[in-house]
Amino acid sequence: MAELLTENVDHRYGRQRVLNGINLHAGPGGCAVLFGANGSGKSTLLALLATRYRLRGGRYRLNGLDVSTTSGETIRRQLMLLGHYTHLYGHLNALENLQFFSDLRGLIPSMEQLRTAIAAVGLDGYAERPVRGFSAGMRKRLALARVQLAMPSLLLLDEPYSALDAAGVAWLNAMLIAYLGGGGTVIMASHDPERVAALPHIPYRLEGGRLWPMSTHREEPAC
Amino acid sequence: MADVNAQGGTGLLRAAYRIAWKDVVGDFRRRSTLAAMLFFAIAVLVVFQAAFEPDRQEATRLLPGLLWTTVLFTTLVGLGRVFQAEEEDNAFEGLLLSPLPRGVLYLGKWGGNLALTLLVEILLLPCMLVLFNVDAWGQLHQVFGVLLLGTLGLTGLGVLLAALTQAARARETLLALLLLPLVVPLLIAGVQATGNILTGGSDNGPWLQLLVTFDVVYLAMAPWGFGWLVEE
Repeated sequence: MAELLTENVDHRYGRQRVLNGINLHAGPGGCAVLFGANGSGKSTLLALLATRYRLRGGRYRLNGLDVSTTSGETIRRQLMLLGHYTHLYGHLNALENLQFFSDLRGLIPSMEQLRTAIAAVGLDGYAERPVRGFSAGMRKRLALARVQLAMPSLLLLDEPYSALDAAGVAWLNAMLIAYLGGGGTVIMASHDPERVAALPHIPYRLEGGRLWPMSTHREEPAC
Repeated sequence: MADVNAQGGTGLLRAAYRIAWKDVVGDFRRRSTLAAMLFFAIAVLVVFQAAFEPDRQEATRLLPGLLWTTVLFTTLVGLGRVFQAEEEDNAFEGLLLSPLPRGVLYLGKWGGNLALTLLVEILLLPCMLVLFNVDAWGQLHQVFGVLLLGTLGLTGLGVLLAALTQAARARETLLALLLLPLVVPLLIAGVQATGNILTGGSDNGPWLQLLVTFDVVYLAMAPWGFGWLVEE
């Protein structure tokens, strides 16, 4: 269960202000979906929420912890970011990649649990194959198997439907609905409102560095 | 599933070991860094041998310098590739997103590079004694000891500088430019200590102390420096 709150969060790349006064709140079981044009700052906002970038302006609290004053390790233990890259090693097989990920997060899964996670994403039969030979969709599925192992309280997803086939999209939505039902929180960036429609969510538009709830008029920033 | 929420010392060590394991296993499977380091080391030895054609006495005098020159450049070959595996699928970003202290990531990367470098040295030293016809088999373990001390500092600082230069266009040149001046004292101590062992010199203590001092300084500073380098 995660409670995420940002207040007036800013971010700049050099002189260019990418995020300007971002206010976002998502509670347990909440799903916020960020829509916006390419370069509008969706991925930057997700990276910032994942503590990949240092917070330079505004406040960000996760589960009651002030991210500016709490160690990065403590914050990162509560979240996972699945972005455009899957962070998998091609020379390791699917099982070894999951084992590697588990050791990095301090998880101690049994071999059976690892195999179950791989089977759950439809990759049984590929557990001992090097990931180098996987298609983009298979890599995405294996990356999602890591989510099932870690079950973080906050899940940050950047274009999660890309590279997935129709069955993969249906499976992902079912997994996310179960995750939200269990009290997990999702912040997702997407260009695909049709696929997101299957999820209970609150849509936002990121434009000009500001975040707007899509259900209200644009003059009012999200809060 | 057991979840070690706040990773204790064992969990952190397991994570560092897993990163090092991933690098070593990856290198054996791709046959990349180890093969390049070995090929380079053997090529350097053959060129030195052909160029100097030393007799046994001269070879004993030249060997410490040749050994450490070969180790230095071979290490540079390995360091140039230490973050190569992390470029695939932006895996380095994945490491940075893990809930591990940055120092543990450094320890893992350093451990992998150290294991590969030591493996090359274990193969290199006997080759060198055979090729230069130097009868120092009785002192082999002592020379290995000195090599180990020198390699700890050399790779310890090298992995930090490899992280610093990984995004640069001419990263291998930049790495060499930064590393070489900083490891000169370490190399001098290594050459002198090795020379003393081979020639039966009396007091090796000060050189070994110098090696240990540099190891401690580099290895104490590097995990902290790594954390500072990778934060954005």
